Amino acid sequence: MIEARGITRTFDRRGGGMLERARVQALRGVDLVIPDRGAVSLIGESGCGKTTLGRILCGFEQFDGGDLLVDGESLRALRPKNRTPYFRRVQLVHQDPYSALNPTRTIGEILADPLALRARQLDADGAWAKARCAELLGLVGLDPDYVLPRYPHMLSGGMRQRVVIARALTVDPELLVADEAVSMIDVSLRLGILQLLRDLRDTAGVSVLFITHDVATARYIGDGGELYVIYRGMVIEHGSTETVIRRPAHPYTQSLLSAIPVLRGIEEPGPDRVVPTAPLDERVESAGCLFEPRCPFAAADCRAGVPALTHRGDTQQLHACLHPEHRSVVAVPVAGPVA
Amino acid sequence: MDLARGEITGLVGESGSGKSTLALTLLNAVPDPGQVTAGSVSIDGVGDVLSLKGKNLRRVRGASIGYVFQASQNSLNPLKPVGKQLLDLGRSHGQPDLRGLLHKARGLLDDMGLDAVRVLASYQHELSGGMRQRVGIAFALVLNAHVMILDEPTTALDMLTQASVMEIIRRVHAERRLTTLIISHDIGVIGDLAARMAVMYAGRIVEEGVTARVLASPRHPYTRGLLTAMPRIAGDIGEARPLPGRPPDLRSIPRQGCVFRPRCPLAIDACAAAEPPMTADGDHRFACFVATKEAS
Repeated sequence: MIEARGITRTFDRRGGGMLERARVQALRGVDLVIPDRGAVSLIGESGCGKTTLGRILCGFEQFDGGDLLVDGESLRALRPKNRTPYFRRVQLVHQDPYSALNPTRTIGEILADPLALRARQLDADGAWAKARCAELLGLVGLDPDYVLPRYPHMLSGGMRQRVVIARALTVDPELLVADEAVSMIDVSLRLGILQLLRDLRDTAGVSVLFITHDVATARYIGDGGELYVIYRGMVIEHGSTETVIRRPAHPYTQSLLSAIPVLRGIEEPGPDRVVPTAPLDERVESAGCLFEPRCPFAAADCRAGVPALTHRGDTQQLHACLHPEHRSVVAVPVAGPVA
Repeated sequence: MDLARGEITGLVGESGSGKSTLALTLLNAVPDPGQVTAGSVSIDGVGDVLSLKGKNLRRVRGASIGYVFQASQNSLNPLKPVGKQLLDLGRSHGQPDLRGLLHKARGLLDDMGLDAVRVLASYQHELSGGMRQRVGIAFALVLNAHVMILDEPTTALDMLTQASVMEIIRRVHAERRLTTLIISHDIGVIGDLAARMAVMYAGRIVEEGVTARVLASPRHPYTRGLLTAMPRIAGDIGEARPLPGRPPDLRSIPRQGCVFRPRCPLAIDACAAAEPPMTADGDHRFACFVATKEAS
C-alpha cells in the first residue's frame, strides 16, 4: 500500500510578460491512498497538480512537505539516495508512446536492458530474461515474434503503448502510474489499453494510478476504483468512482462532468449542467474556497476559509464544498432511436 | 461530400484516415509530394479552388476559406507577438487598411472573451492552449472568410477548455453565419457540435448523414465500432468493446475490395471482391455491402 500524507510542492515560476514572477503552489497538502491491486484515478484540468503528484510518487520530483508511506514505512525519514529501492516499485507509463521509445532500437533491445538489470537483481540468467520478455509481451497482448525484431515506428500507437507498459513491468513494480496514458492513442484502440490496465491488476498484481482529464476513461480501469478530483493542488472530492460520477457533490466536479461532449441523437445534456463563471486564473489567491472565484453558486461564507474535505449532507463521498447540492449534470441516454 | 451552407459539418476519422489531407485539399494546399490527381472543390462565388494559382489562390485562402490549423500553438510564430503576425497576415494578403484589420481582430478576440489588447501584445508561449485556439480562429476569420475549416480544434485541450472552445465555435459560427467544417478523431466533439457528419476510413468516406441519425442508427460497421469503443460517462461499462486490428495505414490497406474488411466483424465474400458503392437511405449514405443488404 502506498500512502501520501499532506504532500505539498511549490515551484518558483520564472518568466515575465503577462505572467508575473510568482510562486506556484502545485500541491497544497494532498492525502492519497493506493491500496494493493487498487485502481485510483486522479482527475482535474491542466495545471491542477495531478502530473506533479504522479511524478512525486515515481521519485522524479521532490516534495516540500508531507510524507510518502510505503507499506507503512516513511520515505521522509530516509535520505534521498536510500529511497531508490522504493521507486523501483513504482513505474511511470508515459503519455506519449511516440517519444517514450528509442526510435533507433528494436523492441527486443528496448526490453533487454531493464530485464538484464532485473536478472542481476534476482540472480537469474539470460534464459530467464528471454522467457520473461516473452511472458511480459504476452501479458500486454502482443505477439513476441512479431514485435521483438521491429522498431517503434513500425508499430501502431496502441502497440507502442503496450510496449511501454511491458517495459514498465520488467522491474516487477507494484504500482503503475499512467499519466494520460490513452490520450495520444487512436480512439478505436483506447479502450483496449484501458482494459489492459484493468486486467493487469489481476494478471500482474499491480495497482494502477490513472491520471486524466477525461473522467469517462476513469470508469474503465476497474471495479472498486477510487476517484480523487484535484483543483489547484487540493483534493476537493474523493470517493468511489461510480459514486462521484453519478452524484458529484462539488460544483467543480460537476463542471468537469458537464464539459463532456453530448452525442446528438443518443444522448441529451444533463438538465443542470454547470459551467464555471470564469477561466482558471492561477494568480488569484483567496483565503476561502479556491474554486469560489469561478463558482456559479458561491456564497458569502465560501470566502471565509478553506472548506475541509469531509462528509456534508447525505453524500457518500468526501468533498470540500460548504453547500453541496445534487445536480444532474451528466448526459442522459435518449430512450429509443430517434426517427 | 457537401458542406451545407450555414451548417456545421463534422468529419471524423482515426489518424491516417486522410481527414487532414482532405481539409488541405479544400485550400488546394496539399503538401509535396502529395498531389490532387482528380476531382474538384467548388465554393459558392469562387468556382473550382483546384484550378486557381498564385495570387488568385492566395486571395481565396483567407477571403473565402479560413483555416484553423491543428495545434494552433505550433502554427503561431514563437518569435513574434500575435499582433505582428496579424499584420504579416494582412500584408501577405495585400490588405491596404492594416489599421482596420487590427481593429477587426480586436473585435473578434473581444467577442471570444479575450482581452484583445493584451493578447495582441503577447507571444504565443504567454497564452494558454484555449487562448491560442481562439487566436487561430480570429486569424482564420479576420479576412472575412465565410467558410471556416477547423482541424482538430480541441485536441490537447483539457475538458473544460475544450467545452469553452466548442461553445465559441458554436457562437462564432452562428453569429457570422459561416459554413463550418470540423475535423476530429473524437466522435464526441463531432457528435456534440455538428449537424451533419461524415465518417472517414483509409481515405474514403464510409458513412455520411444527419449527425443524430448517424449516431442513433449507424449503418457502417466502422461507425458502430467507433461508438462501442468510446469510453462513455453513462451506460454499461461491460458493453464497450475495443475495435480489433490496427488503424488504417497506407502500406497495409487492401488494394481491392472494402478498406475496412481486415477489421470488420461482418465481412462477407463480396467485400473482398469489390469496393462497396455508396448506398443512400434518404440523405443517410453508407458504403457497406452488408448494411445495404440489411436496408433493402
